[in-house]
Amino acid sequence: MSSISFSKTTRYLTGLALVLGLVSMSACTGSKGGAKGVLKLPAAADAKSLDPAMADDLYTNEAVSLIYEGLVEYEYLKRPHQLRPLIAEAMPTVSADGLVYTFKIKKGVKFTDSAHFEGGKGRDVTAQDFIYSFMRIADPKINSGGFWIFDGKIKGLNEWRDKNKDAANVDYASIPDGLKALDDSTLQITLVNPYPQLLFVLAMSYGAVVPREVVEKLGKDFGNNPVGTGPYILDRWMRGSKISYVRNPNYAHSTYPTEAEEGDDPALLADAGKKLPLMDRIELSIFTESQPLWLNFLSGQLDRAGIPKDNFESVIDTGTNNLKKEFVDKGMVLSIAPSPDVTYTAFNMLDPFIKKAGPKFRQAIALAGDTKDTLKVFYNNRGIPAHTPVPPGLAGYDENFINPYQRFDLEAAKKLLAEAGYPGGKGVPVLQYEIGQGAESRQMAEDFQRRMDKLGIKIQINVNQFSELLSKIDQKKAMMWGVAWGADYPDAENFLQLLYGPNAAPGPNGANYNNPEYNKLFEQMRYMQDSPERRQIIRRMMEIFATDMPWLPGIHRVTYGLSQKWLQNYKPGFMGGHIGKFLRVNDDLKGK
Amino acid sequence: MFAYIVRRLLYAIPILLGTTFILFLLFNVVPGDPALQLAGKHATPEVIQTIRAELGLDKPWYGQYFDMLRQLATFDFGRSYWTKQKITDMIVAGAGTSFSLGFPAFIISTSISLVIGLFIALYRGTIIDKTIVAFSVAAQSVSLLVYILAGQYLLAYQWGLFPISGYDPGMIERWQYLVLPILIFVFLSVAPELRFYRTIFLDELYQDYVRTARSKGLGTKTVMLRHVLKNAMIPILTNLVISIPFLILGSVLIESFFQIPGLGDLIVKAIANNDRPVLVSMTVLGTFAYIIFNLLSDILYAMVDPRVQLK
Repeated sequence: MSSISFSKTTRYLTGLALVLGLVSMSACTGSKGGAKGVLKLPAAADAKSLDPAMADDLYTNEAVSLIYEGLVEYEYLKRPHQLRPLIAEAMPTVSADGLVYTFKIKKGVKFTDSAHFEGGKGRDVTAQDFIYSFMRIADPKINSGGFWIFDGKIKGLNEWRDKNKDAANVDYASIPDGLKALDDSTLQITLVNPYPQLLFVLAMSYGAVVPREVVEKLGKDFGNNPVGTGPYILDRWMRGSKISYVRNPNYAHSTYPTEAEEGDDPALLADAGKKLPLMDRIELSIFTESQPLWLNFLSGQLDRAGIPKDNFESVIDTGTNNLKKEFVDKGMVLSIAPSPDVTYTAFNMLDPFIKKAGPKFRQAIALAGDTKDTLKVFYNNRGIPAHTPVPPGLAGYDENFINPYQRFDLEAAKKLLAEAGYPGGKGVPVLQYEIGQGAESRQMAEDFQRRMDKLGIKIQINVNQFSELLSKIDQKKAMMWGVAWGADYPDAENFLQLLYGPNAAPGPNGANYNNPEYNKLFEQMRYMQDSPERRQIIRRMMEIFATDMPWLPGIHRVTYGLSQKWLQNYKPGFMGGHIGKFLRVNDDLKGK
Repeated sequence: MFAYIVRRLLYAIPILLGTTFILFLLFNVVPGDPALQLAGKHATPEVIQTIRAELGLDKPWYGQYFDMLRQLATFDFGRSYWTKQKITDMIVAGAGTSFSLGFPAFIISTSISLVIGLFIALYRGTIIDKTIVAFSVAAQSVSLLVYILAGQYLLAYQWGLFPISGYDPGMIERWQYLVLPILIFVFLSVAPELRFYRTIFLDELYQDYVRTARSKGLGTKTVMLRHVLKNAMIPILTNLVISIPFLILGSVLIESFFQIPGLGDLIVKAIANNDRPVLVSMTVLGTFAYIIFNLLSDILYAMVDPRVQLK
């Protein structure tokens, strides 16, 4: 009997081995080639929702932007960034006082077909749809993180929001004065004050148009069942793993740009004037770990990838900053582009000690830091030292402005510390340095701690969960902390507002910096278009910043990425959502 | 037995209440306001206040706790703060995926461990026994991360035997993505399990009934399979049944490296995003599963050992 049972076991094991073998063989067939017309790209995190009103983070914004569109979009190939009409027929006409914007909407732009429409067919987009969509961003029951784009800007919108705060049902019938549909295809926006950034914010996902009847039918499930006007339709969303899109068959209102910048590769214009999107399908794979991302890229399963920190030196010759030969031989293309962001360590200017210690104390701390070394050790030199909050590539960035404290000079730091009244760090309490979780944050904080030790200043590192860190900043309880800010739109104002007094915590000015001259200049420049006069004001604001040093400016990051030889039309440094509709995979090259 | 089961289920109520209360205390002791995280980088006091009201965080603590209990009692776990998805949908999708990864790995690793454990217990003290035990100790000493990194790099990338990562929810399609994670899971589980089973079998091998069986003239296979294995079933069953809830809860690292959208991944994200309703639901369901499977193992004791009576 026992011999029979053993032979059964053997049979089962053989069967199992066969099944595993077959499954493995099927796995192997899916190598490099794959289906045609598919663009495969990575994402570092999943979208939290596919509702444009919820597009508060980079990943959600990118995922949403393939499905939804607004009136305008960024030119794909132009730097510095410029806007072009998207659902709008042309750029708006603006009244002389800069308060009234009138948009004509393209005829025949439709929402995609959906079972949630009556009859299952998508309908034309109208000016009323935009009014509903903008009011929805201000809807107190929706709680969109995007309300700031319209907060205090559109006539009557804040009043409408306040009126509906405690209402059981939000009243969309009473439309704010600042939003008018002159006819089905003409939208007029009236502002409270000039707001030169209006067109930039309308290019964000928050400015996208949504179909009212579908939103109201689906309620909170709208974010899982998106219906937009964009180049793609959601095919399948495996939360935490992959988002797949298919081409919107009715999409006809956007074409590939016909102009590039001087010095651009002429191949970037190979698809000039062609109808977008160029690919039938896009798959965004979500990688929270770098090894699978990198191995998938190397095996040709991804068309593009950033270079993980741990692999950087095996890919880039750090002496020349060029791609190593083995990757060049495979036809891979390296792209290097500055990110419109800034990392910084903020001081809470309301903290009793920080307030008392004065600017010389903060200048001394800045001089004792060594941003170049930080860049080398923690970023593989992927960044440039920040002298001001404003990153390169934005209107208002001044590459000639040198912050005198953005350098390493320990002796000068000691001298300044003594002048501040704390020779050798005497009399300085242990400074509380708040950081988020993660090994790298910890290592960078410890590096800062070691450097301050040389100055005679003791640092206590406090590791926080992200929400805990936010609570401490918002309640003005943190003393010092390290964070980063990424651009919402390509204008210095988006960074300078981080130090505007009235924006103090829980607003974006977590440092609670409040300099009357800086505030006055900010109020002046925020309503101005980019001009030499405005740049002069910004320069003065930078000088004030560099004297007061409410932050220790860190770096502006630079992203390094690799494209496969078959990926066409890639241009780095685009700010306007996902670039998927402009990209092309050359399947003939891919198959070789 | 019925009365016993009902009584044990009633005991579950204070345990669940205690769990929810501790969890609630933790949320209120550990600083960090979910509304701040949700409000985003342009938060204003007004926006934060509106979000707090929407989430019910502006209520007094007992009001919030009562809301939580009411949701759990009605099996309406509400929606995720972060994604606005129904938590029930999130759990059902994630549990099925994690189970697809964990269950086959569990069955295979248990089968292998039992067979090898029985075998080396029989040949205790020999070079085979010592070699396998030494390998097991060495295998246990290596971090899970090493198995994942090496497995993914060698088996998937270098040798192309499996996809590097990914998942497909189709009932057939999913398996091509699960084979490698399952293999790693099995490799990782076999070493500690076979040492555990070896110890149990060795305990049994020195019992009088084994000597009696042998002296009756029964063959080794019969003694091992019909007597030793059967008598060792109680600790084995305990180990097996108690492992089942963890199969559903998933393996955080494996799921993360292989892009498998299971519950492990869900829990990690909920912690990172301070997504309290998801954390509460997962903790309560985890506790409940643990209680149920504990009860199940007690019932199974009575079935495999007539001396055990449930009163």
